[in-house]
Amino acid sequence: MTQQASATDPASGRRPEVVPDPSVEAARIAAVRRYDILDTPPDGAFDRVAAMAARLFDVPVATVTIVDTDRIWFKAAHGLEGVKEIGRDPGLCGSAILRDNALVIPDTLRDPVAANNPLVAGEMGVRFYAAAPIITPDGHRLGTVNVLDTKPRSITEDNTATLADLAAIVLDEMELRLSALRALRNEQERREAERAAREQAEKDKTAIAAFASTLQRTLLPPALPVVPGLELACHYRTASAHDVGGDFYDVFPVGGGRWALFLGDVCGKGPEAATVTALARHTLRAAAQMDPDPVTVLSTLNTALLADVAAGSRFCTALFGLLAPREVGGFTVTVATGGHPPAYHLRPDDSGAVWVKAVRPKVGMLVGAFPQALFAESTFLLAPGEGLFLYTDGLTEARTTQGTMLGEDGLTGFLHQRTGPLTATTLVEDTVTLLASMPDGAGDDVALLALSVPDAESAPDTGVAATAHTTAVPEHFGQE
Amino acid sequence: MTDVTHTLHLPVQHPHPGLALATVVGDVDVHTAPTLRSGALETIQQGHPRLVLDLAQVGFCDSAGLSAIIGIWHAAQEAGGSLSLAAVPDRLMRMLSMTGVDSLLPVRATTADAVAALTDSPPASANR
Repeated sequence: MTQQASATDPASGRRPEVVPDPSVEAARIAAVRRYDILDTPPDGAFDRVAAMAARLFDVPVATVTIVDTDRIWFKAAHGLEGVKEIGRDPGLCGSAILRDNALVIPDTLRDPVAANNPLVAGEMGVRFYAAAPIITPDGHRLGTVNVLDTKPRSITEDNTATLADLAAIVLDEMELRLSALRALRNEQERREAERAAREQAEKDKTAIAAFASTLQRTLLPPALPVVPGLELACHYRTASAHDVGGDFYDVFPVGGGRWALFLGDVCGKGPEAATVTALARHTLRAAAQMDPDPVTVLSTLNTALLADVAAGSRFCTALFGLLAPREVGGFTVTVATGGHPPAYHLRPDDSGAVWVKAVRPKVGMLVGAFPQALFAESTFLLAPGEGLFLYTDGLTEARTTQGTMLGEDGLTGFLHQRTGPLTATTLVEDTVTLLASMPDGAGDDVALLALSVPDAESAPDTGVAATAHTTAVPEHFGQE
Repeated sequence: MTDVTHTLHLPVQHPHPGLALATVVGDVDVHTAPTLRSGALETIQQGHPRLVLDLAQVGFCDSAGLSAIIGIWHAAQEAGGSLSLAAVPDRLMRMLSMTGVDSLLPVRATTADAVAALTDSPPASANR
């Protein structure tokens, strides 16, 4: 190292202490914050720069400092054990930070400002100081790379350039660190956003599933009630697990010990049909509470469906029945039809087979299609030992092994010949077995509703036991 | 003609002024019913509210077809005209009868019968 006077600071003895411009200083502090380096743990790269500076300049102390608002913080300190930061006193680093070029003070005692710096005047007794500012590409001075000695010395212009290079290396390191930090933050933000999106999607999915399940429950036929003196059974399945069916039924009390029942089929499928199903069910229930006369109820439903926005395009077929219990057992049944396949009145005949009679009121048109629709009712006695069987056309349109539809004739033949007991439960069970024996099962939605009055002989003295069987719900219901 | 066809054609003739005879060619199900409906409604809107549907070439017609027919009937009524059916296939006939629709729509054995019924009497009487 050649002995030479300070090259970079000809006026080192007469350096005016520049007061930082507040706006420049504010921007500088913002830049310091941007690099997010203050108070970070020691880092090998910066430590190596400090160690390299000490070795190159052959000085006992070399540091990398970042200047905060009111302190000088040491990112790396070679030869200064245990010092984390010092005050922002003028003279050394505090002054170097205000310059664009290196500050070299060959002898601090001969520099009026530096001479008063605590590092010079204090225990440490710094006599030589040189620093190069760490300058960002946009011109902010974040801190300095410093070399210090306890004896005065001179350094060459090359040495000064080396110090500036070291400061540039520190900046490069900080830039690398910043871009890594940004990448990390972006990645964290991306993960956080993904996680939030996933959580939201989960929440939405749960909400939608809950909504769909609630909606589906309102559309599905309910479990059957227990009706004294009557056995009830039903079967319901939709052709597609993803479709809400258009078949519907219900059994409910209408006062005076009487019960109403209905079973119907909305023309069409899917959500559109489901809205008609819901409207039909609720209208039938409400109308029956006002006046349970079957013709009146179906007329009310006809009017309600025609009053709907899509008048004339939403219609259904339906059977509506009113059951009035008789003191001697059994029920007086009044049935009206709205264009629906007939219910079958069943009674064991003398030969051991079953007498099957279709209940056919005189007229009964599709419900909701025509303002002038006419309905009529039939009344008959459902005596102990007898049954009543209602179905939707998914049953009669199911294909047999011969490839033809079961049809009304096939169904009446089946009902006539079956040998099981004439109870609602076995009627439905046997019919479901029949459907299952068909090559394609039922291609369409199917709803079955059977009623039977227990025989007086099979009933205990206290009266017949009331039972209700809901033999099947759609296979998909209750699953995800 | 046992397989269900997936296309439907509806050529329209005008055997009489103000009278349209639409021949349904193909099967009517949930896929083709919209074609039947829109074709017939177009004919009605073009000023031919008295419409006869010839169903002789229909091998299959389910409840979707019945829905379309009811929709066409409504449109014809609103336009002051009528809808009659000719040569109705068995299954559709059973549905028409079961649902009571045959009490509102004239159903004729042949298109000639349907056209004759419409031209021999004023249109209003066909609608009852």
